[in-house]
Amino acid sequence: MEIAIRAISEFDVTVIEITGSVDSLTSEKLIGALNDQLEQDRVRLVADLSGVEYTSSAGLRALLITLKDARRRGGDFRLASVRPPVMRVLELSGFTSILSLFPDVEAAVASFTLRSA
Amino acid sequence: MNTNRARVALVIGSGSVKCAAAIGIQNVLTREGIGLDMVVGCSAGSIFAGLMASGHSGETAARMTAQLWTKELTGKRNTLALLQAVAPRLLRFDVARFGLRDDKLIRERLKHVFGDSRIEDMGIPLHVTATDFANGELVVLSHGSVADAIRASVALPFAFSPVRIDGKLLIDGFLADPLPVSVAMKHGANVIIAVGFESPYQESVRSPGRFAFQLSSIMSNNLLKSRFGFHSLAHHSEVIAIIPEFKQRVRLFDTEKIGYIIEEGERAAEEQLPYLRDLLAAARTALPQE
Repeated sequence: MEIAIRAISEFDVTVIEITGSVDSLTSEKLIGALNDQLEQDRVRLVADLSGVEYTSSAGLRALLITLKDARRRGGDFRLASVRPPVMRVLELSGFTSILSLFPDVEAAVASFTLRSA
Repeated sequence: MNTNRARVALVIGSGSVKCAAAIGIQNVLTREGIGLDMVVGCSAGSIFAGLMASGHSGETAARMTAQLWTKELTGKRNTLALLQAVAPRLLRFDVARFGLRDDKLIRERLKHVFGDSRIEDMGIPLHVTATDFANGELVVLSHGSVADAIRASVALPFAFSPVRIDGKLLIDGFLADPLPVSVAMKHGANVIIAVGFESPYQESVRSPGRFAFQLSSIMSNNLLKSRFGFHSLAHHSEVIAIIPEFKQRVRLFDTEKIGYIIEEGERAAEEQLPYLRDLLAAARTALPQE
């Protein structure tokens, strides 16, 4: 799994581009990368999942840990460009009811400007 | 017993004939030499779990399914139950026998396929789930007659009567959990391949029967998501969800579509295969020998 971090200073949003699979073999790396951002007070996070083909239960746990931590710190963790295989797992697990999903990164970033995170 | 590797379970959720997708998954796992340490089946999924645990090849399982799962299963009415539903006091409504369809044929066919086989004698450990009618709890059948356990697991309310096993009145497993990954977790699986299906919603509702099906789908789909979400998060077993996509509509008894359903199961399993291979390779080095 590859992780690229891109800060959008204008809206105080950090975009995390993830490529590969979010699963038990990669989830610790992802949690670590996301936690690094939160520790630096970057609490408005957008995960660009356009390059993610799959997630398992370990991936779901990683997403939930980050979501809870971001919200606890006054921010949020939002998903963009979720591909169908990942969407199916998110839907099956009921995650679509607790995570905010957007069709693309631009929409996810803009959502933070519409109301405070 | 497998050592020095993960304990792998296949959980087949409820989904009528769609559960035949599990045969496609079985074909892919067999080709890749990935053995199963247990199989869990719920509702119609229990039929395929039973066939796999019995050691039948995918090809044989497909042939048996085509003979077993046909429209005739619900063809004959249970007239007494129908009358009891209309006049319960007069005709002494009996919950243990209440099913609007005669279950003689399904019992005969299950007996024909599984004979007197017992769950505890299966080549692969088998767990069949049902629901306790008295309190709604998930009941796991890990011993006893395979045919009786499957009959209990497919006791679709209103259609087929409940089944009494070990003193409990049992109904369809989907009412407690449509995709019971918790059973595999409880029995020590750390890699769980879960094949699940949402119940289809009705295109139009023009009869009380369709109305009931729609309500059932709404409730079971919400239950599926809440249970699957909870167990995915609450445990550290790795759950790999396989959700075959059917572009063609597959109805309850579309047995003629079994070939197509199996293909979709194979395709969905192929998608997860690279990760499954990596995961099992990592487990070989990470897990201590038993």
